[in-house]
Amino acid sequence: MEIYIDAGTTWTKILKIKNNEKSYEVIPTSKLKNLNLTPTKATGHSIIKTNNYENEVVALANGAKKYLEDNFIALDLGSRDIKWVKYQNKKFQDMDWNSSCASATGATVEMLLKFYNVKAEDLIFTKEKYAITCGIFGLEKIMDDVSNGLEPKIAISKFIHGIAYNAFAFTKNPDKICISGGFCENKCFIRCLEEYCKVIPLGRFVLVDGLKAMTN
Amino acid sequence: MTKNIIAFWGYPEKELIKKTKIEYPKAQWVDLDININAPDLKFLPENYCIIIKNMYNNALFLKDKIIKILAPIGKDKCDSAYFASEILKEAGFEVIQTTFEQQCKNLNEINIPISKSSLPLKEKIELITKNIIEQKDYSHLKPTKPKFGFWGVPPNDLSILELFPNETEVFGWCRAVEAGYPGDFQIETFADKNIPTIFFTQAFCSKTQLAKYLANKYDGLFIDVDCNANNSIKAKIEAFLKLR
Repeated sequence: MEIYIDAGTTWTKILKIKNNEKSYEVIPTSKLKNLNLTPTKATGHSIIKTNNYENEVVALANGAKKYLEDNFIALDLGSRDIKWVKYQNKKFQDMDWNSSCASATGATVEMLLKFYNVKAEDLIFTKEKYAITCGIFGLEKIMDDVSNGLEPKIAISKFIHGIAYNAFAFTKNPDKICISGGFCENKCFIRCLEEYCKVIPLGRFVLVDGLKAMTN
Repeated sequence: MTKNIIAFWGYPEKELIKKTKIEYPKAQWVDLDININAPDLKFLPENYCIIIKNMYNNALFLKDKIIKILAPIGKDKCDSAYFASEILKEAGFEVIQTTFEQQCKNLNEINIPISKSSLPLKEKIELITKNIIEQKDYSHLKPTKPKFGFWGVPPNDLSILELFPNETEVFGWCRAVEAGYPGDFQIETFADKNIPTIFFTQAFCSKTQLAKYLANKYDGLFIDVDCNANNSIKAKIEAFLKLR
């Protein structure tokens, strides 16, 4: 059996292939160790770097290759970081990877949802957004607004709009963008990003698909 | 305690090095730019260039052994080094301020065998800085066809250099130092459009301005690192090297 693992900070994405049958799953990274899997190839912050380790941006580029070759930017927005890659005329052209602050990414949104007891599906698009160049300042604004009577789901939605705008600015204001990672399932985020550019959500398994493609 | 160290940072003027070697033939030379794991004495603000922090921490840690500090303060180093030279004077060091701003008259004639060699990148950078004092001839080193370029100063965290292949050519201040013109703007800002280059700078260093500008100009990758490179920075370098 072939096993491809993208072990993120919070969630681990797994692709298993047996007799040409593909199966995908997402598990909490905290449970990965217990499974005692031997990956064919692996990527992500939470995996031990061995010979079968592959760089995350390289896995992203391979997983999103057909879109990149169509001049889309591929952006992976994870629990703790954000990274993107761009091709032009079918050749790698540019990339970036935020490497310091993780206060405006997936893990923060998950914490906010838990803290205010809000479901992700209840978030709605708001025209307004918080400026969250610093996520910590963004959190402060949520707390201020909620204590002044704003519904938590609206405040978190404004925070998410801020993340979407940041993602757009971080990728240097592209016309079209492919999204990889858990935020693909966040309708509010996708709708917010559509305010700025054309968006194609690719799902959570782009990196494991990329690992598979590299093995071929 | 007997003082036996001639300390310096940057690239002190050649004649001054020569004169000091004659005056103190048995002295040990210590490059204060380099991280020697001296205790952080918090002499500077928390967010400040790590190389300048190294200069202070190393100097104060070795104070009882330092005879004098040869202190470049010109365009060959930076304003922060000028301020440091004055402050360290007040702290009781003998400081000889130097400027080494001579410009190269013929860029085609610069001699940079280490920068162009096939040695591992880390070894190249270490050799270039060591040769500031040793002044050995490395013209026997054979040039290699470069696959990548590294632009910048010697990083505080040298481990990032281990990510590059041996076929990496050295640009930036390191190249200017090897050429013997540490203050030559043209040598320092030279890069090759055909060589995918990583433009490295220490965070809070004024060379950040150059690195960012040149990375855009030459379609390279801009990297700034504070003390040590974290996993994301290393992964970013790895990705650039693999995808280019």
